[in-house]
Amino acid sequence: MNDDQLTELASGAFRERDRRTGRILPSPAWHDLDADGRQALYEHTVVSRTLEAALDPDGRSSTVRAVLARIRG
Amino acid sequence: MTDLDELLPAIAAGDAEAFGRWMVAAEPSLRRSLRRFATQVDTEAVLQEAMLRVWQVAPRVRVDGQGNSLLRLAHTIARNTALDEARRASTVRESASDELDPAAVTVSDPDPFLRELIAACFEALPPTPRKLLQLRLEAAGGVHDKVLARRAKKKLNTFLQNITRAKKLLGACLQRKGVSLEAT
Repeated sequence: MNDDQLTELASGAFRERDRRTGRILPSPAWHDLDADGRQALYEHTVVSRTLEAALDPDGRSSTVRAVLARIRG
Repeated sequence: MTDLDELLPAIAAGDAEAFGRWMVAAEPSLRRSLRRFATQVDTEAVLQEAMLRVWQVAPRVRVDGQGNSLLRLAHTIARNTALDEARRASTVRESASDELDPAAVTVSDPDPFLRELIAACFEALPPTPRKLLQLRLEAAGGVHDKVLARRAKKKLNTFLQNITRAKKLLGACLQRKGVSLEAT
């Protein structure tokens, strides 16, 4: 997988959760990016969340919706 | 500035919808605060973890009269969560400071004009990128892209390339309308 694909994968809001502690885990794709790639991922994610929030009737990004889903179990 | 503490009583009482409205207004400010950690931690995982911790502590938060008590606490939680993660990953480079920059605590208001432009650009996307981005949006972070790609009968790489293409086309469409979404 190239850097663009890793960035796209990690820019999604899906994150695994540690089954024992419940901690939200970093994306494996994030680990595969170097420092420049991680900075680019951050910028890409900011833009992605703005687009998502604008396309959601309640203004919720996928981050907000993922957290709400976890709260509601 | 809007005071999100108006939502605190409902949040403290366990109203997830109210917390959803709080997160919509708080997320951009919290995400910006994590920019300095972007090379050290997965800021998306940190932000989600911090939001969950905010939800857990909200019933014990007392309003201090300065406005946005919960948001200011959320900034501290997000920073501490990022530092914990950086230590865990041995990537910590941030010097410890407990001072919260008040200017960093901001509330985001909806921009109906921007929403309209983005919706119009989304509708103008070619069918495949639009369909796959729609799948990603509907999954709302609850489904791995591998599964979404399988549902769309695409290889994961092809799925990801189409999502990236859709976002680039959206960005270009917005640029033509005089709007830039570049992170600041």
